[in-house]
Amino acid sequence: MMLSRDGIAGLVCLALSIGLFALTFGLPPAVMVPVGPAFYPRVVILILGILSVILIVFDVLAMQRQRAAAVAPRATAATAGPAPNYRLVLATFVEFGVYILLIPLLGFRISTFLFVLLLEITLEWPRSPRHWIVMILVAVATSLVCFYVFEDYLSVLLPRGTWSGM
Amino acid sequence: MNHYELLFTHIGTVLHFQYLIPLLVGTIAGVIGGALPGVTITMTVIVVLPFTFGLDPLQGLAAMIGVYVGGSAGGSITASLIGIPGTPSAVATTFDGFPMTKKGEAGRSVWVGVWSALIGGALGGLCLIELTGPFASLALQFGPWEFFSLFVFALSMVAGLVGRSVTKGLLSGAIGLIVTIVGADPIMGVQRFTLGIHQLEGGFPFLPVLIGIFAFAQLMPDVELIGADEQAIAARPTQMNLKVSHLSVLWDILCRPFMLLWVTIIGIVIGVLPAIGGSAANIMAYDQAKKFSKRPEKFGTGIPEGIVASEASNSANVAGSLMMIMAFGIPGDAVTAVMLGALTVHGIQPGPLFIAQHPKVAYGIYASYLVALPLMVAVIWVGSRLWMRIIMMPKAMLIPIVLVLCVIGAYALGNSMNDVYVLALFCVIGYAMVKARIPLAPLILGVVLGDQIESNMIQAVSTDADPWLFLTRPISGGLLAASVLSIALAVWQHNRETKRLAAAAEEEFDTDF
Repeated sequence: MMLSRDGIAGLVCLALSIGLFALTFGLPPAVMVPVGPAFYPRVVILILGILSVILIVFDVLAMQRQRAAAVAPRATAATAGPAPNYRLVLATFVEFGVYILLIPLLGFRISTFLFVLLLEITLEWPRSPRHWIVMILVAVATSLVCFYVFEDYLSVLLPRGTWSGM
Repeated sequence: MNHYELLFTHIGTVLHFQYLIPLLVGTIAGVIGGALPGVTITMTVIVVLPFTFGLDPLQGLAAMIGVYVGGSAGGSITASLIGIPGTPSAVATTFDGFPMTKKGEAGRSVWVGVWSALIGGALGGLCLIELTGPFASLALQFGPWEFFSLFVFALSMVAGLVGRSVTKGLLSGAIGLIVTIVGADPIMGVQRFTLGIHQLEGGFPFLPVLIGIFAFAQLMPDVELIGADEQAIAARPTQMNLKVSHLSVLWDILCRPFMLLWVTIIGIVIGVLPAIGGSAANIMAYDQAKKFSKRPEKFGTGIPEGIVASEASNSANVAGSLMMIMAFGIPGDAVTAVMLGALTVHGIQPGPLFIAQHPKVAYGIYASYLVALPLMVAVIWVGSRLWMRIIMMPKAMLIPIVLVLCVIGAYALGNSMNDVYVLALFCVIGYAMVKARIPLAPLILGVVLGDQIESNMIQAVSTDADPWLFLTRPISGGLLAASVLSIALAVWQHNRETKRLAAAAEEEFDTDF
């Protein structure tokens, strides 16, 4: 049985609600108040579970209707815009993930400089030496301006790196 | 001191450099953020947020109100000049603003929008000042039953009205509530769903969740299209003559006073309704202005009424949202949700007692809002040539800077990398929700209201164990009935729309063959 993104979202939420509902059995019963710590979470989890099932059922019904009509691809091909560039999205996620892992190791200044420069290059490869210089300057400025504005004027101490010491 | 004496005293306070500078900087940031296509007001207020942690509460709020007011007007610049709404709240401005620009009246198009925003905002400000107090007094009559029902109503309304699917809206709200059940329970302090991770014992912090949900959800759709819209960007004009007779522009706006008043009221009412925001207000006001116009056929061809309707309602919507957060503690939209988070960082809880307990901050908000409006006009006037250049800023440079500021925003909250990891987790969830076409607004409202829904429910049943009181107390019962009605209405509207689309598709199918 094929599911669209709605059905998959419903399945993920259903799995989450089943898992969380199981965890509520480990919570202690009510003491002195009519409802215990498990009551409200169970209500919310049940609502999530029911909505997930509705989403899955609607999706299955919609897919069946679509199969019966068998006209969907014609319509989508006509209305499609430019194809999304998921490689860039994945690269942004990975670089952002590496950035936040590196902050405690390299410190805010170095890791921010590297992150900004790398992401700039990833999103748009510099076309000329001047473009390179602008991108490097933006990375340096972002790192240093943020650091000094927050540390000196806004009393926010940004993280130092355990490897770099700065 | 009476109401207006307090207001004028606080306007005087806000005009001191100490408050005026954050307000000005916030307004400039708002105009730029609003004008940049793809950067919403919510994103801008998130970016400005970390800069406010080191300030006193009123300075921080002044900066955010500047962003809110500036962003609402800034969105109209791009909508009018290049036909791309800088923010979702300026969508309807493109309908007449861009055709007017194409007719060679770029200056008129921009300034009708800006002056409408000022007038609509000022009328909204009047309502904000006059009605917030009575609203708060009404809220003081509420017991835990009524608050529980009010929060449920707010959530059901948002879930029903936002997005195309009612089920997905409700699902999003339920996910928001799930986020709030992690951590210690409000009565016994029992740890729930922490999976032994001690960093989760305090629950998920609200602001990193909010920043995470919006950061990638709003930036990644732009990343997906990098390279694809180069031709469109290259075709954008970089210089335009924005000179215009301001008196004739003001006449364009003021010659239809009843329409102006009507669209302003629509803006305020939409602002008061939880989490719907300017994106709905401008479309609804445009639609109403068209219906009541003597020349509806001219709408969409570049007439000032279309721009006035969109921008006046959009600006008044800000006042409505502020009213709701100050009287009930319920954010009118995502921007006020961030402001609510910023207030709680400073130990201030908005709600019915907010004006009585924090008059300086409350009147400071009124004053900042009123001062921000002329400031917004001045900022756009002085920097009009500069804004044209800024809206052309490459996304490849903008996106990394915004992400760095998001990280600082999450980190600065508690000087802890744990909050940054929470941010990263919700970045993934936010983007996944966008791809699954699940609306984000109900989730945010669920996160904001989840704890209060639970604590009011427990307080109610601890006071009187009879659960029927939720239904038999008139206000509580009325609000719960309204919740059911709002969902039923949304389902009915959705089914009607689906049938209409299906009929249209069938018609198209017939004509093709």
